[in-house]
Amino acid sequence: MKKILAVLLVVLLAAVFSGCSAEKDELVVGMELAYPPFETKDERGEPYGVSVALAEALGEYLGKPVRIENINWDGLIPSLETERVDVVISSMTITEERAKTVDFSEPYAHAYLALLVNRESPVEKAEDLNQPERIIAVKKGTTGHVYAQNHLTNATINALSSESACVTEVIQGKADAFIYDQLTIYRQNQANPETTRAVLIPFQESEKWGMAIKKGNKELLEQINAFIKDFRAAGGFEKLTEQFLAEEKKTFDALGFPWFFE
Amino acid sequence: MKKSPALFYKSISVVLVTVILVGFVWISLVRINHRLDFSTLWAYKYRLWQGFKMTLIMAFASLLVSLLLGSVAAMAQKSRFLVLSYLAKIYIQIIRGTPLLVQIFFFFYIIGTAWGVDNRYLAGVLILSLFEGAYIAEIIRGGLESIDESQFELAKAVGLTPAKTFRLVTFPLLMARILPALTGQFASIIKDSSLLSVIAIPELTQITQEISADNYRLFENYFFLGLLYFVMTFAVSLITRHLERMYKHENSAG
Amino acid sequence: MKIVLDKICKSFAGKTVLKNVCYEDDFNALAVIGPSGAGKSTLLRIIGGLLPPTSGDLYLDGIKVSFSEKELLAHRRTIGFVFQTKGLFEHLTALENVMLPLIHSFQLDKAEAAERARELFARFGLEEEGHKYPHQLSGGQQQRIQIARAMAIKPKLLLLDEPTSALDPELTAEVLDMLGELQAGGLKTIIVTHEMGFAKKACEKVVFVADGTVVESGDSRQIFTEPQTKALQAFLNKVLEWQP
Repeated sequence: MKKILAVLLVVLLAAVFSGCSAEKDELVVGMELAYPPFETKDERGEPYGVSVALAEALGEYLGKPVRIENINWDGLIPSLETERVDVVISSMTITEERAKTVDFSEPYAHAYLALLVNRESPVEKAEDLNQPERIIAVKKGTTGHVYAQNHLTNATINALSSESACVTEVIQGKADAFIYDQLTIYRQNQANPETTRAVLIPFQESEKWGMAIKKGNKELLEQINAFIKDFRAAGGFEKLTEQFLAEEKKTFDALGFPWFFE
Repeated sequence: MKKSPALFYKSISVVLVTVILVGFVWISLVRINHRLDFSTLWAYKYRLWQGFKMTLIMAFASLLVSLLLGSVAAMAQKSRFLVLSYLAKIYIQIIRGTPLLVQIFFFFYIIGTAWGVDNRYLAGVLILSLFEGAYIAEIIRGGLESIDESQFELAKAVGLTPAKTFRLVTFPLLMARILPALTGQFASIIKDSSLLSVIAIPELTQITQEISADNYRLFENYFFLGLLYFVMTFAVSLITRHLERMYKHENSAG
Repeated sequence: MKIVLDKICKSFAGKTVLKNVCYEDDFNALAVIGPSGAGKSTLLRIIGGLLPPTSGDLYLDGIKVSFSEKELLAHRRTIGFVFQTKGLFEHLTALENVMLPLIHSFQLDKAEAAERARELFARFGLEEEGHKYPHQLSGGQQQRIQIARAMAIKPKLLLLDEPTSALDPELTAEVLDMLGELQAGGLKTIIVTHEMGFAKKACEKVVFVADGTVVESGDSRQIFTEPQTKALQAFLNKVLEWQP
């Protein structure tokens, strides 16, 4: 009996310690696969989307294989701190607050916040939401959440865990509006025309998206910035648009909104 | 002089266990290069206090409603009206057999919306009570079945009315048997209330998640969260231990 | 006391336990004897109002016992019942066990009830056991406390269901002694028992129940010395085989 226990202990320890020596020559990219068409999964559950393609391009540039880690939104930055991932490419807005904890690359895209409004609600523009009777749905930790906390203090803000829950609350009238990026709001409105309206006119400065890396990792930061410059020059972003966002580009052009990658 | 060594070994063991546990967590933190800084939480003390109160209110309200629901369901199971008895049995089976998360989504976004229960606090209490009530019903049923039939026959023989039998015999015997299980259930209610965060009820877990999205200090935030929940469940266990002493008769006969 | 059992029948879920039990007599102490499973306990419970008969009638002292729940409650309060085992509330002390029916069935106030209980305990040598719980008491003590509880309500009839069957032999005597004393004082009893010696000495009437019916009955002196039926003869032979 004692021998068996000893062997088991050795096997256990070996397993634990072997797991410690991670492969150091791959690029681990963290993203929350819940944001189509930027970060999502294909029919087989494999990571798919604009950010995934971008990540692979980065990997190619750096000469490393890429591994995508699917992480909850509020776990992305902590995962950089604990070095669980090397870089976060998740359509993340560069903010002062976040820049205190991580380093951001040069912006590679910009986006505006927009509102998905319940059809019955009297809300026409963002300022209308700043009333005590208004209820706002936001996704925890997003810039929509931050915007609401800073500018819409009179309203009730319900911070939910998922985009779909937020949309559901607007559709069911439990919230007047959902604050999120233009593209998603547009798509959700298209999907729910009878119950929602979209207020796509920008109500603040555009938000810049950057890739996040662990604070102080100067080498990787330089490499990533160089990559973005090259990628843009080579027309990489146009290709991404064509591949994933053709329809949306047409709509944005028709509505006169500036495009993400310009 | 037998007492002295025993106390000595006890103290040493306590110290050793503490060192092992704290040491393990400490080493884990070192491995992921994490610098502890609990002062980051201080800025949020007002919101945390609000969240703590909300958790207590939701848990306490659910406690009352689930006790009621559980008692009713336990009795309904034995009813002679088959419809009532079947309803109760199905309720208990399905609610105990599905995750609370699923029930929250189903009852809030579908049933609640369909029948006009828009107030999410009310919905939260009802959903949590519905969930815990099923478990309480089973605890009560088990307790009742463990009471010897002879006690009820005895109650009849000494001329007690059904009402008096319940008050003087059934209830005390039941309490003595189910109080330990009920404590576990009360603690569960407190812990399960954390899931109400998915419908944005501003209880403790929701507040902590919002704070995490702000300051990214997952370890400090969730450790503190765990501590607060532990304080609540520990307080409950103390109260129940006191109640147990009231109803206990130094172990049942036989 | 005069008792009339008129064609009492009892079935449980299709199984017949008592069929056409008929008996009529005047008694002070009546012993019910017979092989196990014959339905003696069931019969006793019917007499005590704990079970309704499936059919048939029961008369005590000329009054028909009605088996409607409301009237049964009143009937049960005139009868003391002693069970074979587990006849005390496990969550109450000995004194509380005796006081409970006094307070809640007879509306005595707590002080009076306590007084009466203590008197009975003193009379039967149970003073030390007043604050103990049933699981702390010996079988003999539990049975004697049951009898005290039954006596506290000043019943017109005491029913005992094999009160000593679950006891070690040494404890049997103390219970039977207590019973004998009460009977001598005029208490009417019906006792289901295997203690043939007690049945012979302390009970003047005997009923022999076998296969769910009264096979033979009469004065105990005669029953034990000159059993008429084969069944009773066989039974007595078996039972008395090992008796001194």
